[in-house]
Formats: sequence, structure tokens, C-alpha cells
Amino acid sequence: MTVEAKLSIAGLEKSFVGRKVVSVDRLEIGRHGIEGLIGPNGAGKTTLMGLITRKLKADAGTLIYRPGGTEIDLRQMSMDQVARAGLVKTNQVIQDFETLSIRDSLRLALAPAEREQFWTVFTKRRKRDAVEAEIDEILSHFPFENPNGDARSAGEKKLLDIIRCLLLKPKVLLMDEPTAGLPDDLTRAVMTLVQKKVAEEDLKVFIIEHDLDLIWDYCAHVNFLADGRLLCSGTPQEVKDHPVVVEKYMGVVDV
Amino acid sequence: MAYLYFSLALVAVYIGITLLLHLQFGRVGIVNFGVVGFWGLGMYAHGVFMVTLGLPWLVALLLATLLVGLFALALGALVLRLDGQSVLVATLAFATIVLHLVTTEKWLTGGVVGFGTIEYPFDFGAATEPAYLALILAFVAVVLVYALRLDSSAYGRLLSAIRDNEPLAHGLGKPTFRHKLIFFAVTSAGMGLFGGLSASLNQFLTPNMIAPGVTFTAWIALVLGGKDHPWGAIIGVCATVGLFDVFIETFAPIPADYALLVPNIKLMLYGAFLVVIMLYRPSGVLGGYGRRG
Amino acid sequence: MWLLTDSIYIGLIQAAPLILATMGFTLIYYLNGFINVTYAENITFGAYFASVFQTFLGFGFFVSIVPAVLLAGLFSVLTFVCVFRPAMARGVGPTEMIILSVGLSFFFRYGATLVFGNNPYFLENANPQYWTVLGKGITDTQVAALTLVAVVTIGLLFFIYRTRWGEMMRALANNRDLAEASGIDPARVSMLIWFIAGAAGGLAGIFFGVFALVTPLMGWNMILIIIMLSIVGGIGSVRGALIASVAAGILTAAITLVSQPLYAEIILLLVFIGVLRLRWKRA
Repeated sequence: MTVEAKLSIAGLEKSFVGRKVVSVDRLEIGRHGIEGLIGPNGAGKTTLMGLITRKLKADAGTLIYRPGGTEIDLRQMSMDQVARAGLVKTNQVIQDFETLSIRDSLRLALAPAEREQFWTVFTKRRKRDAVEAEIDEILSHFPFENPNGDARSAGEKKLLDIIRCLLLKPKVLLMDEPTAGLPDDLTRAVMTLVQKKVAEEDLKVFIIEHDLDLIWDYCAHVNFLADGRLLCSGTPQEVKDHPVVVEKYMGVVDV
Repeated sequence: MAYLYFSLALVAVYIGITLLLHLQFGRVGIVNFGVVGFWGLGMYAHGVFMVTLGLPWLVALLLATLLVGLFALALGALVLRLDGQSVLVATLAFATIVLHLVTTEKWLTGGVVGFGTIEYPFDFGAATEPAYLALILAFVAVVLVYALRLDSSAYGRLLSAIRDNEPLAHGLGKPTFRHKLIFFAVTSAGMGLFGGLSASLNQFLTPNMIAPGVTFTAWIALVLGGKDHPWGAIIGVCATVGLFDVFIETFAPIPADYALLVPNIKLMLYGAFLVVIMLYRPSGVLGGYGRRG
Repeated sequence: MWLLTDSIYIGLIQAAPLILATMGFTLIYYLNGFINVTYAENITFGAYFASVFQTFLGFGFFVSIVPAVLLAGLFSVLTFVCVFRPAMARGVGPTEMIILSVGLSFFFRYGATLVFGNNPYFLENANPQYWTVLGKGITDTQVAALTLVAVVTIGLLFFIYRTRWGEMMRALANNRDLAEASGIDPARVSMLIWFIAGAAGGLAGIFFGVFALVTPLMGWNMILIIIMLSIVGGIGSVRGALIASVAAGILTAAITLVSQPLYAEIILLLVFIGVLRLRWKRA
């Protein structure tokens, strides 16, 4: 039995100053728990993710998202609507809210829209035990130096970025180079938690990564992108042995 | 004595608009250099609604506030996506347009001749001025309580997130532009409300009241006191408007020959203050948020 | 038809000082990347310097231009060396820089008011000559303004796009580190640019003053339009600033001919907000 894909991409194109950066004929995401996207630098991986989250506007093509039952045309939606619909992306470059503590940053991710309105400032504050418990639970997986203070190191900020996204309870989580800037043991801790969530909840993950060991270890399915085109996809073993991948990619990366 | 109440009411109005500027700039990072445009539009609209259309004081005040809010909404929709420099110049342009229109549309505003008389909403004899001061202070208190409560609320956290890193907040599913727009419109409408309150205070309105000096005074007060704290706005206004327009004008024995120089010296010192603060202590007397490091 | 020709004619004469001021302002914007509101005082001070030479020292109008322009350039360099360069070294951001420059602007404006008083000064050409060109009257002051503006404009464009100093300036503006690494001395280039910009502003102020009055607020009243033209012309593009200010001058003249000057400024400001918005959409 084939699982229906969460995200169906067809004929997706994007050009910058005349150069076609992404040109993907067909890509289905979400049939497997954790999927990988690999490819040389400049292959258009981050651009592809930007097109999916609507950070960038596609020149052509369709983006159909199925969070469960319903079909949503992502091209009608803004970036924040996409995120609220459960399609969330972690950042490659370290992003942070300078004046929010770690805990506040996570509360922000959990706060529902109706509590974040101009006039709710005057309404009586309820105790948010459930929220605090959820934050405590997720923080317990990671060794933050001071969870009630600020994220200090680059690693803590990167980790915080990923945790914020997980707290949004995404249906599809896009991860753009989660290992970049993160120590190895933390990467493993993150991936273990992600694996657990995928197993227990309705969550599919799509990862861009240059650390191929991580891809081979965690991904059930791998896609290879070069020059904006999807050149092959399959199980890790199939992709690893694919002649095109070997020729265009493996030669230049330390495996 | 009446003059002292007038001066104190002036301080209260400045505290009101500086608090609102704190909300816009300190809280969300919106660089509003058109404060006097919103304030002045509210003041003239209140006057026109009351005197020309004969509406009751409160109705005129609410309509004026609403009108300013709508203008802020339109301006915000046009420029709030742009960078800080563009927002600054566009809001300054808005205030200049308001000033010019008040000057040219004599049929509506009286032009340079002036417009009046806008009466107090009540007449308690000698107690009228103090009562009106109390009324303005009540509105200031509402803004202050709002600003203080924002600190620990979910909405305040969201605004901080937008100020710190808008794209990141957007990526977390927050409709950041809509929030900024609504916040800007409501706080600018608040400036219009204080403008409306100033109409009865001044009774007679002329275009030179809505010169850029008002915007500048609110900015120097906010930057001096500390843009990140509600109390900073209050301290800043007391140290500027309070010192020069109340303390010195009322109590300092300045010979008449020199009294004319005081406003110039005041604005020159404001300028010098601003330069020194921006150079050596950009977060003002009260300092910034607890940043790491 | 008369409206078109008269607008172009009056517009060019009135825009002459505006062109100078906008180009000077744009030079600084281009080189250092921030809006220098204190440039308003550069314009004002140029006019005051000239009227001091004329009123107190008895110089002729055209003679007093020379020292006044040099002093205005010097004033500009001083604001850079004493305030803006230290501020840049302290990492003050572009928005905060505007606030700082507004402060400095107020300091000088009201300082000047204390010295010169609120009453306007007059800058006059004592023996004006009236000529007729293409059926329209023109004074020798207006001819001088137009000629000087044309000469300065061509000189500036040549300087920026054709000389080694101009090349160094563009290198500095585009990539400071790279420019410094390739042996360009940023202090010397910056001081030269601030001098040229200040001198252009001073000259603009003198012509604003002679066409109208010299008051402490004259620069401040112009600065918003100058900032706007500089942004609309394409931030830091001296050619764009030139085109935008000529267009604004002609538009202002046309609207003024059919209604009044304040409406012209209102329309310019509305156009400006619209252009800002459109530019964002394209990006």
C-alpha cells in the first residue's frame, strides 16, 4: 500500500536574473518518515525549500499540500499561513530573537493567535501550566546551560530554532542543514527526538544535509538535486550507488 | 495659576504621545517621524467636528481618533513593509502634508489666521483647568498601564519577536505585517486622541502648533529617557518639557530681554543632548533590555 | 502650451539650487549610506556666510560666493570629522544615524538663530542686469545660477565617473574592506567628498537665499524634498538625483502656475510615498 504524499510538487520553476535555479518536474514528499535532499552547493536545495514555504514565489508549477483529508494549494497562501497549516522550516543560518529568553522564545512558538491580539493585553492572564509542562518536557532532552536565560552559543541558538519549529507541531518539517553549527552529540539528540516524533505523531520530515552519514543513518528515502533538477531518488543504498550521484557529488565530498 | 495647569497639561500630553512613540519605536521598531502629523490631524479634526459641525465634545473626540486611525492604517499599509529609513522619511512626509493642508485649506482650518474657539467639555469655574488636567492624566494612565502590561503578555512577546527578527517570526506562522499595521494604526490613533485633547487645551489652533518641533520633542524625550521602558518616556518628558516649559518658564526669574531666547536655547540643547546620547548611550538613561553578554 | 514652456523655464531656474543640493546630499548618502539631515544646515550656513561677507564686509554678491562656499565645505568636513566619523566608528546604525543628524541639525539651526536672530537676512545682487532670452526676462543672478549649476553638475559627474578620486569613492562606497585593502585611504577620500558635498550645499543655499530670503529655517524647509529626491533618484545615484530634481522643479513650477506652491509640495510628497511603495513591489 502506498501512503499518500503530504506534499506534491509538479513543474516547479524559479529563475534569478535569467538563470533557472530550480526546475523540478515531479517530487512527492511525505511517503516516508524521514526523507533527505542532497546535492552539490548551488544545486537549488535551499531555494526549493523557500518555494515550498512560500518565502519565495515560484515562476511556474503547482504545490499541493495535504495535511490530512483536505488538499491545499500552497500558491494561494502567505508564508505565515503555510506555517500555521503545519508546514514549517528550520533555518540554515542561525536565527534568533535577541531580546527573548529561551523559555520566552518557546512560549512564543506555543502561543495561539487569539492570545496575541492588541486587546488581550488587558484580559486576565490564565495560568498556562500545560504550556510550561510542554516546554519543560522538550527542554529536558537538551543540555541548555540556563533554560530560563538567553541562548548563548551558536549551538544553543541553532538548537532553539529547531525546537521552536517542533513545538509548532508541524505535519511536515523541513530542515535546512540541521548539523551546520551544531556539535555532533547535539545533532544526534535532535535526530533521535525527531525520529521519536515521526514514529509517534503524524509528522513527516524532509532534510537538506551535507553530512551524508546523517542522511544514510536516518533517512528512509533520499532525493538528489543538481543544477535545480531532481536527478534521482530512492533508498539510501540506491542513491549511494547511482552513477550520476557518484559522478556529480560523491567525488567532491568527503564521505 | 491657570497657566501652570496649562503647562502641566502640556507635559501630560507630551507624556502621552511619547509613551505611544515608545510603543511604536521601542516595542516594535517603527520609526515614526510623523508624530506631529497624527497629533495635529487629531487636534484639527476635533476642532472642526466640534466648532464647524457642532458635534458634542466626546463624539468629536472619538471621531477624530477614528479618522487619525484610518489615515495611519492607509499610510502603514503603504510603507510599513519598507526599511526603517523609508518609514522615517515617509512618516515625516505625511506630517509635512498635514501641516501644508492645514495652511492651504483656509475654508476648513482658518489657515494661518487660526481656528477656534474650542471650549472645554465642562465648566466647573476655577476647577475647570484642574479637572481637564485630570482627564488628560486619566488617558495617560491608560496608555501607561497598557505599556507596562505589555511587558509580560503574549502580545508583548510577539511584538518583541517582530522587532528582533521579523522574518523569523513570520516563518513561525505569525502574521507579522498585519500585527505591525494594527499596532501602528491604534497607537497613531492614540496620538490623534491626545491631539484632540490638546484642542480644548489650546482653544485656538494655528498651523505653527503642528510644526516638526513637536515630533522632535517627543523623540528627544524618548531617546533621553530610554526607548525601551515606559518610565523612560516619562522621565524624558519631565527632563525636557517639564524642565524648560514648566519649571523655567514658571519659576526661573529670567529678564524679559532674554526670555525670547529661551526657546532657541532649549531646542539647541535638545539637539546637543540627542547627539551626545546617540553617540555614548543609545539606550538612554534607563538603559536597554537585558541583553546577553 | 504656455504652461509647458513656462513650467520648464521657471522650473529650471528654480530647480538650479535644488539640483546642487540634491547632488551634494546624494554624494554623502552614497559614500556613507546614511541620511544626513545636518546637510540642511549646510545650505543655511552657505547663505549666512555669504550674507555676512556681503553685509558686514561689503563684498559684492559674486565675490562673496567664493569664501562662503569654501567655508560651507569646511563646515561639512568638520561635522564629518567631529561627529559622523566617530559615530560610524561606534557602529551607530543607519536609522539611529538619522536621529543623531537631526539632533546636530537642531543644534546648529538654533545656535545660528541665537547668533543671527529670527529676522531674515537679505542676499542681493546690488546691480541686477535684466536680459531677454527667447522672449522671456531673466536676471544676471539667474543666469549665473544656471551657469554655475551646469558647470558644477558637469564637473561633479566628470569627477565621479571619470577621475581616479571618483573611482576611489565608488570603491569605498561599494566595498569598504576591499577598497582599504587595495590601498585607498578612506579618511582622505571621505573628507574630500564631504567638502565637495558641503560646498555644493553652500552654493545651493546662496542661490536659495538670493532668490528668496535667508532665514534659519531655509535649509530645514528644503531637506525633506532633497532627501526624497535623492531616494527617488535611486539611492546614491548622482545622475538619478539630477534627473529627479529637474523633474521636481518643472512639476513644482507647473503646479504653482495653476494653483499654489504648497499644493506642489504636497503632490511631490504623495508621489514620493507612491514611488517608495512601488520600488518595494519590484524588489
